[in-house]
Amino acid sequence: MTDQLRKRLARLDPMPPGVPTESMTTESSQNLLEDIMTTPATEQPASQPEPKPNRWLVGAAAAALVVAVGGAIALTGGPSGDPVAGGPPLVLEAGGEDVTASCIMFSVEELARAPLAFEGTVAAVEGESVTLTVDEWFKGGDAGQVVLNAPQGMEALIAGFPFEVGTQYLITAYDGNVNYCGFSGPSTPEFRAAFEQAFGG
Amino acid sequence: MSSETERRERFEAIATEVYDPLQRYLRRRATAEESGDVLSDVLFTVWRRLDDVPRDAVLPWCYGVARRSLSNHRRAAQRHLRLVQRLESERERAPSENPADVLHDQDPDLAVALAGLPPADREILRLWAWEQLEPREIAQVLGSTANAVSLRLSRARKKLAESLTRQDDSIPGHKGDERAEEQQR
Repeated sequence: MTDQLRKRLARLDPMPPGVPTESMTTESSQNLLEDIMTTPATEQPASQPEPKPNRWLVGAAAAALVVAVGGAIALTGGPSGDPVAGGPPLVLEAGGEDVTASCIMFSVEELARAPLAFEGTVAAVEGESVTLTVDEWFKGGDAGQVVLNAPQGMEALIAGFPFEVGTQYLITAYDGNVNYCGFSGPSTPEFRAAFEQAFGG
Repeated sequence: MSSETERRERFEAIATEVYDPLQRYLRRRATAEESGDVLSDVLFTVWRRLDDVPRDAVLPWCYGVARRSLSNHRRAAQRHLRLVQRLESERERAPSENPADVLHDQDPDLAVALAGLPPADREILRLWAWEQLEPREIAQVLGSTANAVSLRLSRARKKLAESLTRQDDSIPGHKGDERAEEQQR
């Protein structure tokens, strides 16, 4: 039955193997690949200037790319230099209070009480700051980026979850403080489903 | 990765592997314009992070980058929701322009059932049936674990089957009955 369902679903695929895609040998494909390979490949540390966009990257694509791979705009450019739509980054404190004091047993109902909830991808980790690019706001905000500040070392933050660049996290916050006691953490399908249920997403 | 020549060779090998499936992945989820932009983003990311691309999961890794890039892309323009709605309504309005609609017409019951699932369930089913990924690979795309994905996938399948059954119950004599019953057996 599983195989049958998979096949039946596959028949809804708008891009099945028979539908052609652009070949890698076309001139525009070759130009794109050549442009990429002539770009300096060294990873830009957060403290260095952002890479200059290539000519094939224009407008929103360039902005999205800078956020996706270019690093911490919020840490280097400051709010005024933020090229991302949605205004200056939101700053939250993470780890400022007694971790155990705020622990409540997890439930979707409790999760739904959080005034602030979003899913974001870590764009940069520098010292005690983590910059997340917001992928989706579930509740309470519209900033394009959120900066999490921890007073003493990142290991204090979101108990047991190191922040890795490029990984997605689901975060809730109360009064400007990240709620890390089971109500924030790496994004998994289950955790995301709880957010969707809680915030009607 | 030592020499420039080696980097280029590795990049070209990856690009050859992902160029076609990545375009399919994007066109299943985005407009042609967005697909082109995100394809560039992903290949650029591959070039810059060549050493991070896992050799045994090149394509799922690229799907994961594409997923985040597409998400950023849409948010950057602050039109994610409007775009999704527009895409949906475009699909309804202009069926002949989108190959998906021809296929939707072939199996409207399933298309409706799929559309009624939560976005996360829909996406996991698409990655499974359209990209033909296994749970381990889906986990790579979504940044999850194979176990969690397996569980989630089996729940999503169950929800889909239940939704198909409900459709049949609510519409007596509906033409999808035979197919859905077949599914149940």
